[in-house]
Amino acid sequence: MGNCRCYNRRTVTRQPISVKYIQKVGTGADDFVTLPIVNVSGTTYDVIVIGGGATGAGVARDCALRGLRVLLLERHDYNHGASGRNHGLMHSGARYAVTDLDSARECIEENNILRRIASHCIEATDGLFVTLPDDDMSYQATFVEACLKAGITAEVIDPQQALSLEPALCPDVRGAVRVPDATIDPFALTHANVLDARLHGADTLTEHEVTDLLVENGRTQGVRALNHRTGQSQEFHAPIIINAAGIWGAGLLHRAGIDIQMFPAKGTMLVYGQRVNQRVLNRCRRPSNADILVPDGAMCLMGTTSDRIGIDEVDDMRVTDTEVSLLMREGEKMVPQLAQTRLLRAFAGVRPLIASDNDPTGRSISRGIVCMDHAARDGMEGLITITGGKLITYRKMAEQATDLACRKLGVEAVCQTATTPLPGSDSPANEWDNYNPTHRSNATRRHGTRAQDIPMASATDRTIICECRQVSVGEVKYAIEQLQCHNLVELLRRTRLGMGVCQGKNCVCRAANLLAHISGDPDKAQRDLQRLLDERWKGVKPVAWGNALRQAQLTATIYQGLCGLDQAVNDRKEDQP
Amino acid sequence: MTTLHTLIIGGGLSGLTLGIALAKTGRRVSIVSAAPSTLELNGGSMELLGCVDGQTVAQPIDAIARLPKEHPYSKIGPEQCALLALEAVRLLGDSGIHMDGSAECNHWRITPLGVTKPAWLSLRGMATATQPHCLPWSRATLVNLPGFMDYPIHLVAHNLSLLGCDIMVRDIEVEGLSRPRRLASEMRAANLARTIGTGSKLRRLAEAINQTCRDDEAVLLPAIIGLEDDYPSGLLRSWVSAPLHFLATMPPSVPGTSMAGQLRHYFKMLGGKFLSAETIGRAQLTDGHVTALYTAKSPTIPITAEHYVLASGSLMSQGLLATHEAIIEPLFGLDVDAPDGPDQWSRYGLLGDQPFMRCGVLTDARLHGLKDGKPIDNLHVIGSILAGHNPLTMGDGHGVDLLTALSVAHQLTQT
Repeated sequence: MGNCRCYNRRTVTRQPISVKYIQKVGTGADDFVTLPIVNVSGTTYDVIVIGGGATGAGVARDCALRGLRVLLLERHDYNHGASGRNHGLMHSGARYAVTDLDSARECIEENNILRRIASHCIEATDGLFVTLPDDDMSYQATFVEACLKAGITAEVIDPQQALSLEPALCPDVRGAVRVPDATIDPFALTHANVLDARLHGADTLTEHEVTDLLVENGRTQGVRALNHRTGQSQEFHAPIIINAAGIWGAGLLHRAGIDIQMFPAKGTMLVYGQRVNQRVLNRCRRPSNADILVPDGAMCLMGTTSDRIGIDEVDDMRVTDTEVSLLMREGEKMVPQLAQTRLLRAFAGVRPLIASDNDPTGRSISRGIVCMDHAARDGMEGLITITGGKLITYRKMAEQATDLACRKLGVEAVCQTATTPLPGSDSPANEWDNYNPTHRSNATRRHGTRAQDIPMASATDRTIICECRQVSVGEVKYAIEQLQCHNLVELLRRTRLGMGVCQGKNCVCRAANLLAHISGDPDKAQRDLQRLLDERWKGVKPVAWGNALRQAQLTATIYQGLCGLDQAVNDRKEDQP
Repeated sequence: MTTLHTLIIGGGLSGLTLGIALAKTGRRVSIVSAAPSTLELNGGSMELLGCVDGQTVAQPIDAIARLPKEHPYSKIGPEQCALLALEAVRLLGDSGIHMDGSAECNHWRITPLGVTKPAWLSLRGMATATQPHCLPWSRATLVNLPGFMDYPIHLVAHNLSLLGCDIMVRDIEVEGLSRPRRLASEMRAANLARTIGTGSKLRRLAEAINQTCRDDEAVLLPAIIGLEDDYPSGLLRSWVSAPLHFLATMPPSVPGTSMAGQLRHYFKMLGGKFLSAETIGRAQLTDGHVTALYTAKSPTIPITAEHYVLASGSLMSQGLLATHEAIIEPLFGLDVDAPDGPDQWSRYGLLGDQPFMRCGVLTDARLHGLKDGKPIDNLHVIGSILAGHNPLTMGDGHGVDLLTALSVAHQLTQT
């Protein structure tokens, strides 16, 4: 009866941690076959892409679809930077119509394309631009005119109609304009791009930080990257380097003797534990602080602020009480009910803007795409920087960078990304063999039609480990095999496990146990568990009063008091490599 | 109608302990309880004092003398604490909660992750150790119930093996678990206790364990047996041929739920009145004296008693409330010891020494609640709502609950 596993007596000294890359799963419930990673060191590439945000992933996909041999290097994990720290708003472009017409046009074009190629990442919510008693009513006409000029549908509706569409809206609303805003899941978007790049032969490596450009006679030859998992440096070679590292690219270029003036603009957002609006709500005024409320599944996000920060601060951005108070105050003006809605957490991202003038907030800097050919600009052949833009113009950015790369390589290949759907959006989500409909719909929302690849054969695979987000054991396995997931925080980015309203009271422990089993490294799983709790706490701390503080005490009581997780991790710290 | 001797707000460990101690002497006592007790988070052990100034405590009673004067134990006094600790064990035993351990000398409980922490008392049948880094077996079998996720078996097996014990993990398929496995919420420990922990199913579980682990030195089973009392777990232990011990699980805890239920049951047997799912909405104070309480459901009907005791728990039980501006005690507006502003209540790194864990209500030496610096003569405060202690860094949570409750019981029965 049953099978049996042995854990032999061990001393506390641990061997250096080796990360296993899992590529295949057996037919049995728990039989993982672990294979060593594809050896990429000998390969010659056409293009190396630096940065695994939406843009870098988009470039890798575009290159791969055009038949180029491409390697993507990401410093930490996909969407670790700005692509994972935004409100997931799929702009219609209306927000920029008055102040930045070019950017608005880029937005609406890409908005229409993404609806076709990334349907599984998008909720077509629509958006309203509302005029509140504080706002200048005359701005509405300017706004509508600018929208139409940019090619954005903008329909003025009666304030009463706006209230019937959005009952939670401020009852004193004076005007409303309907625009084709939507929401987009930036995690699903980036992973779909990475997945497709890999399916078309791209190599993609996470935890590989590019430390230097290899330059010879004014030409880039490749890069040197530090593998954070092993601590070893390695060289990769390609004639074309595309820098898609956002704000983090500036330092790298500086070391190669090239200076671009980046403008790190910090934007802070609040996450509320209940969805109070069906559509994206914007203030109908010049883009300013705290004027967007974006629905996100069963929650909603209030954003944003914009403050220039030092380049040295971009890796440790902390949300301040002033920012939280401003967002709360302005949010409650738009939707009074937010005052009674539970605040879950706050987070900040950094926009990779290119500095143009002495604007202290960065609000007036164009959100337009910047594609730099450093051969022309700095005499460095083979180096391209793609930056600026918005999350939703990532594809266009990728197209421009890849076009330039192709010209330099003398390759004639047409961009296909505007018409070829991403994996998961390739056909309408059809029924797949799974008897739990809630799980099915949740997994489909995250992975689109690819959810059919989630193992569901055994009872273990079907076991749900996160009730809020309906994540199954099978989905965790899928994330590990298909989405390059190596630890709990990465798992959270790929499945949203533990991000629901319960804030992962039990499910993160279940996931840690599962990862301990799969990786065979329980010490690492425990460290990851504590790291995950700390990461999430970073987001909760700025709003740690009321229910958020209550929940924090409960989490600490379970993991510190009852379980002694801190002890299990700290007592063995000295033994870590 | 005779008047109520004491009205206790909060039906957790401290409120019930006080209720039982008073009801035993024939006093009329009522407990108003808003929500299930945090005993649901308990792993089957009680802590008296596990750590002082970052040093692990082996002899808790001796260590009490080293505590700062604002700690509730210091207010009670070390000698009195020793006596009350003995009394607490007797009271728990009278309620049917049989625990082993001594206040003189800590033993070591095994947490749901398989690490050891100092403990004062542990339920009979729980796996414990007398040394922090050494288990009492050289070889033990860890029973895995496939599909039961609230027990991180791979982490437990690993952590136990680091304590110098060979651990064998054996899967045991139990009839009746295939259906619940569809939903994680049905696979909680408490639900397993209902589905496989009773009647013929329990017998079959014993048989399955016997088939797989007949000659093992020790068999360790997640604590999923006995939601109401320890009778089924005792039965299982007698049916299994190898020595069987239970290991704490992630919440909801079966031993914790059972302890809460037994205390409630005993309190009611003694004539106490337990109002569950009821909150006190408003308190009436006249000249620094509590004159009446009103429940949220019946805001016009006053409830009066000679004595009032606040045992409503800390932030997570909503005995304390954190607004954007301050941490308050919402019912009486008692003085709260808390740093200024949300920024100061917590630190980065969740599992550390968090200031919010120490926040609590201030009292005089006799545990009367303070309002604007003055004690309220007919209001005592007990349990985790008290300031000056920290269950997570000091391991003093259950002791504070039990000892402050018994200390107030002595005061109220002497008057």
